[in-house]
Amino acid sequence: MVKFLLRRLGLMVVILFLVSIIVFSLVHLTPGDPARMILGQEATEEALQALREQMGLNDPLYVQYFNWVTNVLQGDLGNSLKDNTPVLTVLLQKLPVTIQLSIMSFIIAMLIAIPAGIISATRKGTFWDYFGTTFALSGVSVPPFFLGILLIFIFSISLGWLAPSGYVEPWTNFKQSMLLMIMPALAVGVRLSAEITRMLRSSMLEVLEADYIRTAYAKGVLERGVVIGHALKNALIPVVTVSGLQLATFLGGAVITETIFAIPGLGRLVIDAIMTRDFPVVQGAVLFMAIAVVVVNFFIDVLYSILDPRIKLTGGQ
Amino acid sequence: MSKKVKVFAAVFMSFLLFLTGCSNSNSSSTGTEKSTTASAPAKTDKSELVVGLDDDPPQLDPHFSTAAVDRQVFHSIYDKLVDVDEELNFVPMLAEKWDISEDGKTYTFTLQKDVKFHDGTPFNAEAVKFNFERMMDPNTGSPRASELSSIEKIEVVDDTTLKVVLSEPYSPFLAALSDRAGMMVSPTAVKEKGKDFANSPVGTGPFKFVSRVKQDKIVVEKNADYWGGAPKFEKIVYRPYADENVRLTNLTSGDVDIISKVPPKDVEKLKNDSNLTLSETGALGFQGLYLNHKSEPFNNKALRQALDLVIDREAIIKVALRDTAVASAGAIPPGTWAYDESIKPKKKDIEKAKKIMADAGYPDGFEFTLQLSPKPVEEQISQMIQSMAKEAGIKVNLEMVEFGTMLDNMDNFKFDAVRLGWSGRTDPDGNIYALFNTEGSINYGYSNPKMDELLEQARVETDQKERKKIYSEATKLGQEEVPFIFIYHEKDYKAYKNNLQGYKHIADQMMRFHDVSFK
Repeated sequence: MVKFLLRRLGLMVVILFLVSIIVFSLVHLTPGDPARMILGQEATEEALQALREQMGLNDPLYVQYFNWVTNVLQGDLGNSLKDNTPVLTVLLQKLPVTIQLSIMSFIIAMLIAIPAGIISATRKGTFWDYFGTTFALSGVSVPPFFLGILLIFIFSISLGWLAPSGYVEPWTNFKQSMLLMIMPALAVGVRLSAEITRMLRSSMLEVLEADYIRTAYAKGVLERGVVIGHALKNALIPVVTVSGLQLATFLGGAVITETIFAIPGLGRLVIDAIMTRDFPVVQGAVLFMAIAVVVVNFFIDVLYSILDPRIKLTGGQ
Repeated sequence: MSKKVKVFAAVFMSFLLFLTGCSNSNSSSTGTEKSTTASAPAKTDKSELVVGLDDDPPQLDPHFSTAAVDRQVFHSIYDKLVDVDEELNFVPMLAEKWDISEDGKTYTFTLQKDVKFHDGTPFNAEAVKFNFERMMDPNTGSPRASELSSIEKIEVVDDTTLKVVLSEPYSPFLAALSDRAGMMVSPTAVKEKGKDFANSPVGTGPFKFVSRVKQDKIVVEKNADYWGGAPKFEKIVYRPYADENVRLTNLTSGDVDIISKVPPKDVEKLKNDSNLTLSETGALGFQGLYLNHKSEPFNNKALRQALDLVIDREAIIKVALRDTAVASAGAIPPGTWAYDESIKPKKKDIEKAKKIMADAGYPDGFEFTLQLSPKPVEEQISQMIQSMAKEAGIKVNLEMVEFGTMLDNMDNFKFDAVRLGWSGRTDPDGNIYALFNTEGSINYGYSNPKMDELLEQARVETDQKERKKIYSEATKLGQEEVPFIFIYHEKDYKAYKNNLQGYKHIADQMMRFHDVSFK
């Protein structure tokens, strides 16, 4: 176990190092001069030159990379080029917003997917199964941005029940925060729920065929007991993987949803920073997301082995 | 077996708790958020105005700002030395009056008395001097420096009198002071905060900065001691809505009171909405095609003229812009004092274009690449140009590029033509000199001694009638020389709730809320 953990941790460091190089090069090799983006179309050559110097853009690329990494390792992600705010502060401001959206989407997804998956599997071939699979198929096919617009149209414009967009911190006004977040969370969550429903249905069907289920029935365990107590737990293993991966991508994946619902989260931050060539913010945010994905995956692996003892954490021998 | 379920649940719950734990600790570490009270989704508060902006303002320091959207917020926080009224005349603001010497070189400003910055610092001639010097200092790196470059000497006569001597007459000077170069920031705050000033701006304006959450909101509150009388709102919340549909939805649903930009496709719909007022005015800029004069094909005047003649401006305005623009004959937009009605926009004339090309040795037309930003309206305009040009045998290749890349290509002359415009300036000099003069900041290789002479002359001329004549002559020369293909002048639209009163729509497109209130 310890060996496995160490190996995974080592791998994480290597991955993050590679990510840092890729992020850095991508940002610096894209055409477009950040100084020009900041000063605008009419800036004079002297002003541009002065700003480039100030931003260290005249240094060779490897020097810039080295400076950046050295600072990052000391916890300094640099300052935004636009208004000089430390990148770390900006990220920490955005993080709770995206986490709130992710958690709510995740809960919504689970609330829909687990019953739907179980019913589809246990009532295979019935109306409910078709209903569930149709839902899953449409959920996967409908992009979140479309669903988002649809929700705004129905609940804000036609019915007038919910505000179309905006954000309020939960600690300022919990109820309002939840009301504002419910539509974006649905837009993101439905897609995940559809994926999980499909996943759960098929793995559930597989598990229900297994010998030990038949044994359980033979021993006289009631159907509910078999499904919930025996089958569900084992069928959940692949589901954990899928949802774990999804949870990681939530951090950056809700970009369009955040734009549609005017939610000030990480996704929009990155888009805005890219549009204005705010290098330090782009680098910081992407690096941050990469760390999040790697860390979440690490935990998923650990969780996986706890759920299924057949998966041994022995470092790959 | 159930033990493992419990383990799973425990791990999962602790993960969630860890995440929520993060969020709480972060909230307290970023203190600015605490002080903001969230705006209610269903708005009932009449002392609070919610403004929908078209983008998130990058900068709150006027001396560093280059984005138009920043200025929307500046007008609440900062005062300018000079303002413009609905007819675009210069009117007093922080400068109560000004005298311009006979030779047009010395400006003597008399400043408002008893004005204080939000932090208590007195506003006086010293403060203005400090502001000018800050912008002019090359170490500041302010984009304003070029607008103030003609200043030779700044002299503080007394607390309320400031003399500015220019090295040569520069007529656009007052216009510069009616924009960001004339916005006064608190010297104390700048000295204390340095570069961080952009995050806690201090001006003398009708509203004080309270807090900002990027991409979410900027909150300002009433400055009860405002020298021009306290404003009517306790608070203004600026919210950025980059997506135009989202912006409009929030206005129609009642969550936002006024929006800064209305997409052309929705103008008609808003005109018919009885709950909302749609206000229209001409804007100050121009839109069209930038041409690269340093290489083929547009270093050839005949080919520029031919392209100019194949464009049906009215068709573009009607189809792509839904009549939210007017055809353009030059850099000076209608509604401004220098506009000359007698100069008409070019009409489409395929035969003439073909003849010009044949005479210049291009009987079969020519080919070029037009770069454009990936936006639906831009695409439509460019495709229309493409098919119009085809009629005369000109082949247009369309290339979509992201904005930063586009600017980069322009800087490096890696383009034939670019579909882009210019947001415009209050003084015509800011539109026309920049575009037509050899040294102009948005000129891409065009140079003509006659044109340079005219534009320099217009800069130093102080009589407005004479200036207008010179600009007309330059515009006519521009129609002949075609340094830029002018297509249209945009109109500016603001939409707001009917219960909002006192709103004046000024062509500089900036929203001023000092005199605005709810009925």
